[in-house]
Amino acid sequence: MYAAWTVKHKPKSLSEVVGNKDAIQKLVNWVKSWERGIPKKRAVFIYGPPGIGKTVSVEALANDYKMELVEKNASDYRTEDAVKRFAGLASQYGSLFGGKRIVLLDELDGLTGTADRGGVRAITEVVKNAQCPIVLIANDAYNPRLSTLRNYCLLIEFKKPSASDVMKHLKRICIREGIEAEEKALKFIAQRSEGDVRSAVNDLQALAQGRKRLTYEDVSWLGYRDRQESIFNVLRMIIYGRTCIGAKRAVDMADVDMDMLFEWIYENVPAHLNDPHDLAKAMDALSMADVYRGRIRATQDWSFIRYVIDFMTAGVAMARQNSKTSGWIPFKFPQRIKMLSRSKAERGMQLRIGFKIKRKCHISANRAAKEVLPYLRIIFRNNVEMAAGIAKWLELDEDMIEYLAGNKKNAEAIKEM
Amino acid sequence: MSFEMWAEKYRPKSLDEMVNQKEIVERLKNFVETRNVPHCIFAGPPGTGKTTAALCLARDLYGDGYREFIMELNASDERGINVVRETVKTFARVRSVGEIPFKIMILDEADNMTADAQQALRRTMERYTETCRFILCANYSGKIIEPIQSRCAPFRFTFLPREEHDRYLQFIAEKENVTLLKEGLDAIFEVCGGDLRKAINTLQAASSFNKPIDAKTVYSIAGRAHPADVQKMIETAMKGDFIEARKQLRNMIQKYGVAGSDIIRQIHTEIFRAEIPEPWKIKLADAIGEIDYRLVQGADEEVQLSALLARLVETGYEMRMAS
Repeated sequence: MYAAWTVKHKPKSLSEVVGNKDAIQKLVNWVKSWERGIPKKRAVFIYGPPGIGKTVSVEALANDYKMELVEKNASDYRTEDAVKRFAGLASQYGSLFGGKRIVLLDELDGLTGTADRGGVRAITEVVKNAQCPIVLIANDAYNPRLSTLRNYCLLIEFKKPSASDVMKHLKRICIREGIEAEEKALKFIAQRSEGDVRSAVNDLQALAQGRKRLTYEDVSWLGYRDRQESIFNVLRMIIYGRTCIGAKRAVDMADVDMDMLFEWIYENVPAHLNDPHDLAKAMDALSMADVYRGRIRATQDWSFIRYVIDFMTAGVAMARQNSKTSGWIPFKFPQRIKMLSRSKAERGMQLRIGFKIKRKCHISANRAAKEVLPYLRIIFRNNVEMAAGIAKWLELDEDMIEYLAGNKKNAEAIKEM
Repeated sequence: MSFEMWAEKYRPKSLDEMVNQKEIVERLKNFVETRNVPHCIFAGPPGTGKTTAALCLARDLYGDGYREFIMELNASDERGINVVRETVKTFARVRSVGEIPFKIMILDEADNMTADAQQALRRTMERYTETCRFILCANYSGKIIEPIQSRCAPFRFTFLPREEHDRYLQFIAEKENVTLLKEGLDAIFEVCGGDLRKAINTLQAASSFNKPIDAKTVYSIAGRAHPADVQKMIETAMKGDFIEARKQLRNMIQKYGVAGSDIIRQIHTEIFRAEIPEPWKIKLADAIGEIDYRLVQGADEEVQLSALLARLVETGYEMRMAS
């Protein structure tokens, strides 16, 4: 079954956390200071961008120092009462088992609305009177609503880890998962993540899970990944959508254009629908979406785009009836986009050779490229002598010879003849 | 062994050398004797001698300098109306200086011309009949517009009979000093139908291995030369492997530039040849017809054809359930 690697490979100890060494040291010093009595600042306020290890560090800290971690995040303590109920209690009394305890209030950014005003006030009160370490976490410490609270806290800033730090973490995961990964591939993922370790790990899982090797080729398309709402989530909303509206809404969340989104869906539908009836229905929906694209082209009336959307999202979502979800199936970058540029160049070459054949053989260049060229390819790979004769007879240039020969070595031999 | 394309080297130079299409050759010889050639349509499958017959006719008529009096145009390379307007007209209206008062225009793959271009051609043919005669070569005469057909003498080319096919290939093998085994010859005929150009190309490619040509070599060449193997793609889909079938389709379209309309026509033919229970065939024909129609309306051939592949996967599954 699928387990998120961000959870599975979460650092258990502070020594495994990448980056932010100074900030972590500051945090450790403060926690240790509790052993000498209640410090001046009874809470730390950790802030910094998402996915860089703020929460993970606190959890690892608790683990390293054998402390009981009482953890809540914003959605759990929106009101004054709720804060008092758990944070108040947790920070006032000792641990149930007599051990040390640390209280973590995560995602503080989540309670800045008017409704939560009481909540912030209550937290401030709790911090003032805390009898055990309290850790507050937010992305932005300088939110005006948190200004009073901030005064009672030791501020610790977490910064984005460097790409090489992120890579260290990715490498460790690959070793544990038994994946042989190219340095260049991991570097690319790390750099793409801009210090967001969590998204880097998610990317790694999407790309590498279930494989033995990860190459640069495999990851290079990551450039398309959307930082806001990843295309993977969009695809999930469509391919596993239960309502038409839900599937259609996914379009607004994708930051790729409509044609590219179509390609993503078209590429990934087959692997995610294993029932033949469902698959036929989904592909039929995509075919209809494409018919509407054709109608747009024919009429230049772009309002038809809504039907394209209907079929490529809702049509695909509604196809799923009997398919069983089994395990984690990664989403793949549209393969034919990758292939397109390569084969375009190749077809240009084929046609140029076709024109050479046409000059001698009373056959159109198009047909020569399709019907004669394949035989030339065989001859050029097998028989240097015959190939050289034909090359001369057709007046092929060096590029053409190399293309037909398939590799430099054969081509050289032919040219020498 | 010689090192040019054998299909060209062994193309007959004169009508007398043409081994097949006896009746057609007789009529063409008659044109040479009377020194008069009407507009003609040479219709028939590929590799049956249409272009060769036109070239032989010209050479017999004009002698070795025949190139001055003819022009060859390939409609599939330049099929637009402008070609007809400019190139064809310019060639057609200039009177020939030789003893024969007309030139010959050979329009190859004429069934690939657009309808507009054909209309323009029709007027040109009429206006310049005195100075130029047209020979239109086509796989399907049905794709030539009616007014042109009615102005032309029709010739129907058919595949070579087996004995003549064999005799010709053996003749080439002998000349080129390659050993063509009986089983190799049978295989070539099986793979190429009666398409002589294809057969000779296959023979030459097979000879590049420098060993006696057996059936195995021939089949391996056929496999490598024609990855656009529609039959295999259908099988893959019917077995249930959609992703692999789509990959094959993608190769045909992207790498080898096969047109979607050609692929669907082949699928249609193959379905009726395939070993599937009869009632399913007509069901599939319906699906094929629907996608064929959508191909015209849609924007993307691969998307449309892969929807058809998904139907094949579904049908294959239903067939297994039913049996």
